[in-house]
Amino acid sequence: MTVRWLEALDAESLPLAGSKMNRLAELARLGLAVPPGFVVTTAAYRAFLDASGIEREIDARIAALNDPRDVDALTACSVRIAERFECAPLDDALTCAIETAYDELCDRRAALALPVAVRSSATGEDAAAASFAGQFETYLGITGAAEIVSAVRRCWASLFTPRALGYRKARELAHRDSPMAVGVLELVNAQASGVAFSIHPVSGKRDRIVVESSWGWGEAIVQGLVTPDHFEIDKGDERILQREIRAKTVVSMFDYRRGRVVECAMPVRLRERASLDAEQLTAIATAVKQIETHYGYPVDVEWVLDRHRRAGEPITIVQARPETVQVATDRPAPTWDILSAANRYVFAKR
Amino acid sequence: MSDVAPLDDYVTDEWYPGFKPNFEQAAWAIEPFRTFNKEDESRFWFLDFHWPRGMTPLGLIWCEDGYTWGSQLAAETLPLPPGYGVACRIAGTHIYGNGIDVHSAHEIAQRGARMARNLPPILQRFPELWAERAEELKSALHYFENFDYRQRSLAGLWQPLFEARRFFKRSFEIHFELMYPLLVNYIGFRGLCQELGIDPAEIGKFCQGYDNKILETDRELWKVTAEARRLGISDIFAANEPENLKTALQAAGGNAQRWLDRFDEFLGVYGYRTEGACDVYLPAWIEDPTPPLGTIRTFLQKSRDFDFAAARRGAIDERDTAVEVARSKLSRAELEAFNAGLDSVRHANFAWWNDEHNFLIDLRSTLPLRRAALAIGEAAGAERKDDTCFLFWPELRDLCAGKRTWHSFRGIVKDRRDYYAYWNARRPQMPKVLGTIPAHVSDPVLIEIFGLHHHFFEGIRNAGKQVDTLVGVAASSGLVRGRARVLFTADQLHRIEPGEILICESTSPNWTPCFGKIAACVCDGGGTLAHASIVSREYRIPCVVGVGTATLMIKTGDTVEVDGGKGIVRVIR
Repeated sequence: MTVRWLEALDAESLPLAGSKMNRLAELARLGLAVPPGFVVTTAAYRAFLDASGIEREIDARIAALNDPRDVDALTACSVRIAERFECAPLDDALTCAIETAYDELCDRRAALALPVAVRSSATGEDAAAASFAGQFETYLGITGAAEIVSAVRRCWASLFTPRALGYRKARELAHRDSPMAVGVLELVNAQASGVAFSIHPVSGKRDRIVVESSWGWGEAIVQGLVTPDHFEIDKGDERILQREIRAKTVVSMFDYRRGRVVECAMPVRLRERASLDAEQLTAIATAVKQIETHYGYPVDVEWVLDRHRRAGEPITIVQARPETVQVATDRPAPTWDILSAANRYVFAKR
Repeated sequence: MSDVAPLDDYVTDEWYPGFKPNFEQAAWAIEPFRTFNKEDESRFWFLDFHWPRGMTPLGLIWCEDGYTWGSQLAAETLPLPPGYGVACRIAGTHIYGNGIDVHSAHEIAQRGARMARNLPPILQRFPELWAERAEELKSALHYFENFDYRQRSLAGLWQPLFEARRFFKRSFEIHFELMYPLLVNYIGFRGLCQELGIDPAEIGKFCQGYDNKILETDRELWKVTAEARRLGISDIFAANEPENLKTALQAAGGNAQRWLDRFDEFLGVYGYRTEGACDVYLPAWIEDPTPPLGTIRTFLQKSRDFDFAAARRGAIDERDTAVEVARSKLSRAELEAFNAGLDSVRHANFAWWNDEHNFLIDLRSTLPLRRAALAIGEAAGAERKDDTCFLFWPELRDLCAGKRTWHSFRGIVKDRRDYYAYWNARRPQMPKVLGTIPAHVSDPVLIEIFGLHHHFFEGIRNAGKQVDTLVGVAASSGLVRGRARVLFTADQLHRIEPGEILICESTSPNWTPCFGKIAACVCDGGGTLAHASIVSREYRIPCVVGVGTATLMIKTGDTVEVDGGKGIVRVIR
């Protein structure tokens, strides 16, 4: 089974769909709004490696790496592998399956040529996946089956970035134990996008939802190219606790001529304008709370505000994952008690 | 980094010319008061801003009954887990102090357990407790202030002097008994606020805007000023120096005399206060009205009266707004903690009590002692009415008992007056710190009241360099530029002209009337709980404290810019 629709995934689908797409399907089953789409499964990836015969070459190159910290060697190796992923012949059956699925997605959305997001969805443990955050490729605004296939090849190759190679080498992990799935999802027509955390990523406070937001698509935020607007919302009564509107100088926007989402200068009139209003923030907080409750631990979420969303409708979620790094700093909400205050703030040795 | 500021210049076993104490000089709780010895160099000492004039021999009773009895006893009774209270020394006539650390972890833990039992009930019933203590103080003050010392023989004056000292000592038992719990309460709340991410400059505002006896006095002072304006006697004030004003007004008669009657009524209620804290050498306004007359004189130079109602409303509005802004940024869980903490610091409010207690204790409780000592001087045939302030306790006892004659003290008193004057003139050059200077101080009382935080130490290190920008604690917000007036004691307070910026070591409650005319206040010492910080917030003027050496870096007449919200003072050259 090389291609699977998101709604056809179930609790057993992780090895096939990768963690990102598997979790997205899980959120859809919870009733959250996620973009429609399908997954090019790990089975397709394996079939490609087998049929093209490039795995032997990959293994040889990886075996030749001696030092997981030798950036030059890792980079050279990564470039060679990427070339192979780009050029090696692809099974007609897979190309055909992707074409068919894309056509159906267009039909479902009544679109002639629907722009999609092509997202890597790695398998393997969450912690490792988290440490690769941002490493595996995402392509926004791809149109047409041929372009999608090309993007899928590049997503596969991103399993062999210098950093991923070094990480696995240092831990003696085999790449075949974490094969790559790729999601193909409708590109949401983004008015604003961003990330949200159910725990404060710096202070570790659990009593609030932190939202970072900017105009357009979320790439500029995820890649750290823009200083986003910053909001904090009470997890209990959803009051806005902090609202910092920043000068947003870079935007990820859809370039119709190139058929891609690209990063460019933010139009001046939008730079210091708030990218979210109170109702939209509440919708994000509601979704994040639901996701955290479902998983039972703090999460971070990538969300998109659809240009055609009306007040009261849910916000679109494009990714959610456990906030593994920050859980260690989890801190209980303070309470007032004169004796503990005395011991902590007055008489503690500083 | 630990620098040593040598104290060799101040090592002596003579407290004043012609006096070395006996072993039984005075009781102490933990560590006695004495002069510096060389071993003291291994400890840290800071120049205590409360006594910028230095202390006379009788004044040094403060060191014995205030710091080494009152503070140490209170630190034992609460107890303070890591500290035994304040130790003090003198360099010449100037007081240096420091906290005494408890070093045993075991003892700190046991003291902590005792504090855990004692502290919460004190804070819970603070209003009742203070009402009881205030009643006790008022009743004692009434007794002493109506005591008739005339017609008493020299021998008969020893007992009233003894009683007066007993009361003085008791007043500081009360002072520290309540001060420590209130400080722990406020500093604990401050810590909570900082953990909640509240801007430290905002926290002080939460407790402002509550009326107290010192503010009430200032308000009444403005009322009698308005009365002088109304009666058309401003010209008499303008034409005479403060020390001659009373005579001039009496001589003028008519409206001036009518005003003096009104002024006497004012003094009858508010005149039992000195121009400095806990110093028997200082007369009360009722004894010498020069300070309030001088203050009224400068108030009259201002074209308009200080609008207390507006300042109070402003302080309350600013407080309520600050609280609302802070609340709006807190999550529900945090809000619960914040509200409970705020209730606690308002129920037992250091900022309010600070001047409320000053009215009954710091500015007043030396007065019975002073009246008795002056009566002894008169009975003994002293040349000047306050000569007895230059005798030590055992000497006064011998004088009253007839073991020594006044004649035998004449030379000594003269020498000691010279000694006092010598050290008084040296005050601006006294080192701010002595002994082993720590990289930082962790005792929050020393930080928040005495201002021994990093800005202060930085200022000390920069002493002697030409620095145009001084940094301290942002104590009260606002930005203002004006002419500097550097003062070391309150004696010249009435010289401040409206709109000047006061630069001083530190202020005490007797300085508050001038806050109605200055544009801003800058202090060498002090933290957010220092007197100047609290009063500036009530008067709504910019204030920066804990600058270190502002009194050395800035000269009267310099143009300075004070940014109270940022804690920055710029000298415009």
